[in-house]
Amino acid sequence: MSDTSSVGPRPNSGIDLSQFYQVFFEEARENLDRMERLLIGLDVDRADNEELNAIFRCAHSIKGGAATFGFADTAELTHQMETLLDKLRRRERAPTAAMVDVLLRSGDALRAQLARHQGAGGEAVDTAELLRDVRALVAGASPLAATQCASAAGPAEREEPVPAAAVPALRVLELRVGPLNRVSDADDLHALFKEIPDLGTLEPLDGGPAADGIRRFRITTTASDSDLLDLFTFHVAREQLVLLPLGPGDGVHTAVSPAPAPADAGYGYGYGLFDKAPGSPQIAMSMPARPLPQPAPVSAKPAARGADRSAAAAPETSTLRVAVEKVDQLINLVGELVITQAMLAQESLRLDPALHRQLTAGLADLERNTRDLQESVMSIRMIPMSIVFSRFPRMLRDLAAKLGKQVDFVTQGEATELDKGMVERITDPLTHLVRNSCDHGIELPAERLALGKPEQGTITLSASHRGGSIVIEVRDDGRGLSRDKLLKKAREKGIDAPDTLSDSEVWALIFAPGFSTADEVTDVSGRGVGMDVVKRNIGSLGGTVEIDSAEGRGMRVSVRLPLTLAIMDGMSIGVGDEVYIVPLSSVIESFQVQPGTIKSIGGSGRVVEVRNEFMPVLELEHVLAVPRSNRESAAAIVVVVEAEEGRVALLVDELLGQQQVVVKNLEANYRKVEGVSGATILGDGRVALILDVGSMVRRSRH
Amino acid sequence: MQSILAVDDSASMRQMVSFTLTGAGYNVVEAVDGQDAWEKSDRCDFDLVLTDQNMPRMDGIGLTKRLRATPRSCKTPILILTTESSEQMKLAGRGAGATGWLVKPFEPTRLIEAIRKLIG
Repeated sequence: MSDTSSVGPRPNSGIDLSQFYQVFFEEARENLDRMERLLIGLDVDRADNEELNAIFRCAHSIKGGAATFGFADTAELTHQMETLLDKLRRRERAPTAAMVDVLLRSGDALRAQLARHQGAGGEAVDTAELLRDVRALVAGASPLAATQCASAAGPAEREEPVPAAAVPALRVLELRVGPLNRVSDADDLHALFKEIPDLGTLEPLDGGPAADGIRRFRITTTASDSDLLDLFTFHVAREQLVLLPLGPGDGVHTAVSPAPAPADAGYGYGYGLFDKAPGSPQIAMSMPARPLPQPAPVSAKPAARGADRSAAAAPETSTLRVAVEKVDQLINLVGELVITQAMLAQESLRLDPALHRQLTAGLADLERNTRDLQESVMSIRMIPMSIVFSRFPRMLRDLAAKLGKQVDFVTQGEATELDKGMVERITDPLTHLVRNSCDHGIELPAERLALGKPEQGTITLSASHRGGSIVIEVRDDGRGLSRDKLLKKAREKGIDAPDTLSDSEVWALIFAPGFSTADEVTDVSGRGVGMDVVKRNIGSLGGTVEIDSAEGRGMRVSVRLPLTLAIMDGMSIGVGDEVYIVPLSSVIESFQVQPGTIKSIGGSGRVVEVRNEFMPVLELEHVLAVPRSNRESAAAIVVVVEAEEGRVALLVDELLGQQQVVVKNLEANYRKVEGVSGATILGDGRVALILDVGSMVRRSRH
Repeated sequence: MQSILAVDDSASMRQMVSFTLTGAGYNVVEAVDGQDAWEKSDRCDFDLVLTDQNMPRMDGIGLTKRLRATPRSCKTPILILTTESSEQMKLAGRGAGATGWLVKPFEPTRLIEAIRKLIG
């Protein structure tokens, strides 16, 4: 539909269409996603009919809904897309990369329109240029040419470069203007049509100014509603303008002879019955599309619908959509259950197993069931990595085009599952890494050919489970990191970088704050957000980043993440009477301190020598201000922990053991505490704080 | 109560058609495409079929042809709902044996009006 009124959703005969909006929005978004996927996967030289048809259907479906529910701008754009896609599936035009581009951009515009209709606010999406491009493609021109011509020619002749075939159908509209303050305002509109030859015609529908100050005109034009309104608002305020379709047909028809114009020109959306067709009633009817004298009573509540719902259910509904909060609540409760179970297990150790055999057996069952339950519940939050991966093909495509590079994107292990919260927070860092690969890694096609590489670079994104973690890798076959360049750059930045650094230490330099290997900051990867932020974000998820690179051959960034944020392997340590948890993943080693190995330097600082390396020492007792009742027992065990910033030796009293702990957010329950990343409840019911290793290391540096 | 089979691959359109017709006193069974409709029509009788034209698996024309070729539905009124109101489409609909056509988007009252004409 190119001509539904742009005065907003149509008034409707007793039915509130807004109740269907939500379904429409969801459906439209699914269609847009599908269309984008199909377009990106489309091989323009070997497109098969089914693919083209499927893409057509996406646009077609959105158009149908948009027109029905009165989203004129969306209907207009999809109508143009549909016209182009129709030509493609009928093989009247061969698909080109330019078409794919314009269609993808149209998809973006549609998303923006939908978001706006859904109440996200923002400016109306300007689709004039897109519409022009699509029409030009329908007519067989290249979109760029059309755009250039149009911008050079100015608005008056904006339709001119488009050959006749692309001109949208001639439409007959009713324009209502007013109430006008000055009668002459309407004359300005007449003048507009005289000044702009291609705009069409404007004829009065009334005999001059009426008592209510409203003037009515008939407009015969090919311009879109939004273009018309834009023009008219030069002379008349937008609120005083109403455009209505006039005459029969749905606007796809070329209305050759303007229809007679009744004052209450309704919406001429017609129907018709075929003469003597099967199923016709005795008297064959044809096309008197008069409105019903009395609109059929329509109940406001969908009361009678319940019975039909089972028949209405789409066949693919084997999943259940639930709010994340409900799942989180479930996880929380299971977490409590795990704690209770651990407490019971600990208490039961004091009982004589011979006397309480049944109780012990029951507790063993409880333990097993609790563990199974916990695993099942955690698995609800697990979602496949494909959710994240799917956003990259489009992004890379646009990026590669912008940079003039050719990139093939390969994904592996899309079915690998990861906690939902983790997936959401890993998306940005991964996006950054993939962008980096395309921007800094992959060379320009000519450069690649000169190096004897295939013209097209390859970026591979893979995910796999390894032990209790998930490893996500971003690989490219680009230029890789240059050891010399990195060292030089590091020294320029004042970073201590001796030549003796190992390769992996050199690669790790790019994680230093403010470090960027590109000679100039591009608008693609640069933007001041560097690899240090990527590393910090991944670190905050309990993950690590590793780089492997071969100069001239490519680079691999491996991100290792725990499967979930809710459960963690911890080492419990004793300091005074308190118990703390250190994330096991950050513990490097622990050992008994020999007298004299801890040395004081420069006043308050203390270091310990571990295999010829001096490491700062933090006495947890002081850092955490733990009261010590017994002065005799001094902390004598060192636990070496590592965070991204480096290592630190923690001085503790004793090591109590390793256990899985359910992580509770301290900020949500209390407030942020420096040096503590969360809390957990121990088997005996006591609360233990989980140490934030990163902040410990930072503290040791000050 | 008269039964209408509403066929559309768009959930929002199905919902709206269903709501409109249910409100007008019809029993509505929804189908997600021609194939689904064909299977449903095999299980029970409908007083009228309202079908979208362009759908995956089986389109409105294909469904109409099949329904017409089956004794139990050879006389059932079939309305084809379409945004493509070209003469060509109408001819295709007529050739397949459709009873009438209805242009999408439609006013709910217009839909009821068309259906009343066919099955009262």
